[in-house]
Amino acid sequence: MGPPNLYPVKLYVYDLSKGLARRLSPIMLGKQLEGIWHTSIVVHKDEFYFGVGGISSCPPGGTLLGPPDSVVDVGSTEVTEELFQEYLSSLRESLFRRESYNVFENNCNTFTNEVVQFLTGRKIPSYITDLPSEILSTPFGQALRTFLDPRIQPPEGSPVGPPNGQS
Amino acid sequence: MAQAREEAGDSRLVSGRELSSHIIRVSVKTPQDCQEFMLAENSSVHHFKKQISKRLHCDTDRLVLIFTGKILRDQDILSQRGILDGTTVHLVVRTHLKGTLPGPGTLSGPAGHCMHRSEPSTSESVGMLARLGRLARSSPELADFLGQLAQLLMTAPESVVQFLESPVVQGLANEKPANTSHTPKSSRLAQKPEPALKALETLQNPSRQLELLQEDKRGLEALKVVPGGDNAMRPVCSDIQQLMLFTLAPLVTSKDHSAGSELCKEVASAHIDTDTTATIPTALAPARPLAQKVRVGDVSQARCVASNQASSGCGTGVPDVNSSQDLLSQEIQQPVGTAPLISQLRSSPSALRRALHVLQLNPALLNQLATGSPLRHHMPLLPILTNPRALQALIQIEKGLQTLSKEVPGLEPCLWGPGRSHGTREPPETRGGGQSQRTDSVQPTLAILQLLHALSNACSQSTQASLSSSLLIEGCYQQELEHLKAMGFANRDANLQALMATGGDIHAAIERLLGEPEAQVPPVNAHSGEGGKGRGTGGEGK
Repeated sequence: MGPPNLYPVKLYVYDLSKGLARRLSPIMLGKQLEGIWHTSIVVHKDEFYFGVGGISSCPPGGTLLGPPDSVVDVGSTEVTEELFQEYLSSLRESLFRRESYNVFENNCNTFTNEVVQFLTGRKIPSYITDLPSEILSTPFGQALRTFLDPRIQPPEGSPVGPPNGQS
Repeated sequence: MAQAREEAGDSRLVSGRELSSHIIRVSVKTPQDCQEFMLAENSSVHHFKKQISKRLHCDTDRLVLIFTGKILRDQDILSQRGILDGTTVHLVVRTHLKGTLPGPGTLSGPAGHCMHRSEPSTSESVGMLARLGRLARSSPELADFLGQLAQLLMTAPESVVQFLESPVVQGLANEKPANTSHTPKSSRLAQKPEPALKALETLQNPSRQLELLQEDKRGLEALKVVPGGDNAMRPVCSDIQQLMLFTLAPLVTSKDHSAGSELCKEVASAHIDTDTTATIPTALAPARPLAQKVRVGDVSQARCVASNQASSGCGTGVPDVNSSQDLLSQEIQQPVGTAPLISQLRSSPSALRRALHVLQLNPALLNQLATGSPLRHHMPLLPILTNPRALQALIQIEKGLQTLSKEVPGLEPCLWGPGRSHGTREPPETRGGGQSQRTDSVQPTLAILQLLHALSNACSQSTQASLSSSLLIEGCYQQELEHLKAMGFANRDANLQALMATGGDIHAAIERLLGEPEAQVPPVNAHSGEGGKGRGTGGEGK
């Protein structure tokens, strides 16, 4: 067996608020947030991300968000494309099914973190993974949760989203 | 000593009683769960895999261990790769299918490896179907497709295999899908379910192709609003239509000819009644059921092509049907396939003109045309098309209408709009070319106008032809011209025009000439308010 190929792995980081979070978070949350981060993995010349539609892929920078706000190099992997696909398939069955998306606890960054650990053994920067807890620790974030988290019933009594089982 | 301990570890899970070699606890993380293993730190990866396979009940061959991004080889030693106490190793279980169904911890992905086998055995197909079933569960659309594929496989495996191996499908397999959420890059692995998915989708929706073509054509139709864009569009549109029909024809399975000709008649009549901008979508709509139900046999195929060709002309509902039916008749006489028909049409933008030529040469065809055309109720086609002078008059009428619409732009909607498919008008245009200028009361049928428009298009492309034909006509009227000249009508051109307008009737021509104060100018575009009163009688003379 010859030397294995090394494939670079990149983390694409997007600020969903396009700068608004940095300016408004002190007012709205009471603490400074630099952005509302959305991340995706770029490996084997494709971008992979997890959203309400499940695990998806596209050409790098090909989502509606456009080009990433920053790119983090997380190393290289020997995992071949074929193997990676199998891995993703099994993820789709288990942890990252389409319906298991939860904006606070099982979101795009959760997925990215898992995948990066699989591919390189490293984790993604903590400011990204800490974001949900940062938000939820504010009163505003708690109020927001009732609207964003389908498991929680809003005060009116009717569920916001479709009730579904969470992983 | 280490060897003995290794061997001891082989037979049972290491209990942790050995202390001389460091026993470490390693977590093995799969996409489904995470389990812990205790083993010696200097054991080999192969040994590790054996332990894992015992617990997960799957072959060691299918285990892939990854640590910090590196795939662990069997001969590696754990400690050498940096696997220490408490570290986590990632595991992927491949979906090798070697006669056994996948174990509990395995994946349901595209059954890539099983497809490499040349002859699928029953157990393999069952396994594959199970896998596909799991895949289908994750997506409702896939479920439908896979159900159908499964049925096909059961009933007609040869055809499916053939289908999957066709170059089209193989080509699809090499495509790179942009944004598929379920099997993002499977196509790159050249696995059969993926291209089969796409190709079967395409086949199941042949209308999708039509829709795509339709959308393309919508853009092209923007050309229509450009004056003169019409002529450029015709060959383009005809090409597209022909391509579409070519694509569809082989896909269609045969039923019966009569259904085909019915559909084609539908198509043909649809053209006549509808607006130009709607003809192409209308053509597509009948073409869709056509594609799905009817086999396009020689005749009906040619007819469809021809009538679709008709729809591609702009503002030429009538004459193109005529011309295409004419060409169709030609095709009937020479039992050739559609290819020559199409190449014929493609090479000449003025199919109408050629059609007219052919009509003049083949009166039998003309009869067929005149009797078979749906327009025959609206006007007697035969006199119009056979009489070259009548054609000339129509041309002049059209020219006049064009000039008129240029002069008075607000008039055009009146002329073109309301008269759609009324059509119960005798064709006095041939007699009183100038009478058509009575703008207040004239309500020409759409069909007539379309005919004229087409003729003018055809003729504008080759004014030489018109000139030569008018010379010919002049030759016909030589005698009459001499008469008129003798009577004192000195303007030869005016005489000729009058003669053409009246169809060679010298008396009517005289009245016509007398009725117009501006007898010296060509009377076709005459602002004929004054002429109208005198001409009424002259016109009816025929």
